[in-house]
Amino acid sequence: MTPQEAAVMVCAAIAVYAAIRVALEPDTLRKLPFLNVLSFAITGVIALVLPHPLGIVAAAAYFVGSTLESNAIASTYAGGLDRRE
Amino acid sequence: MDISLLAFAHILVAAAVCWLNFIVIDLIFRLPAGGGVVGATAIGQHIKERGGSLHGGYMMGNIVSSPDASAGTLLASCGVFIAGIPGGLLATLLVYIGNRICHDPGYAGTTGCVTATCIVYGFTLLGFSPAEFIAGMVIAIMTIQGISHRHSSRLLSWLWKVRGG
Repeated sequence: MTPQEAAVMVCAAIAVYAAIRVALEPDTLRKLPFLNVLSFAITGVIALVLPHPLGIVAAAAYFVGSTLESNAIASTYAGGLDRRE
Repeated sequence: MDISLLAFAHILVAAAVCWLNFIVIDLIFRLPAGGGVVGATAIGQHIKERGGSLHGGYMMGNIVSSPDASAGTLLASCGVFIAGIPGGLLATLLVYIGNRICHDPGYAGTTGCVTATCIVYGFTLLGFSPAEFIAGMVIAIMTIQGISHRHSSRLLSWLWKVRGG
């Protein structure tokens, strides 16, 4: 097994674990840290299976997009606008 | 040693290095001081309601709400894996753009990305693969965000107290 295959296996296993934790957590805001772990794992898998310069852009775009979504969900759920807006 | 066992051993070492990198930089940039956006504050309060600690919860909320040093470490590892140091620097630029998109005025993400690029490249000279750092960072974030929010928020609050608040 190459280091790359070992890394993909670890990331994929953690992604599945995080997805299960997201599904089991009843509180919406407390789901988000688990969702964050899921995003990290998927970003890792994207970079590991797409070793191309655009793979970095794809991984970063996915990660920043999912972070922005979590930010929007949390801020909306908390019932307020971003303080800096 | 069997090659796959060696890879898993490297991944565990990489996880420890990534953990130290992102925790130290997030503490230096005062992430546990308060929520950067209302969503991060709310996540901290919900974690506290479940028996966690407030300042650790704020830091976890901030990690969720904007690319911080942990995201910087992950994307720097991806960048170095794909294109060496230039890839790490491209990742730094993307994290900087991500911070601005998420209304984060801080520089924890970009700083973490630059330090991680240097660290990951340094470890490749010792026989590590950048791919092992990608898996290592995923394990490191799982220990904080994905196992027990109560215990990890208490640990982060304790570290915040050690730093001096």
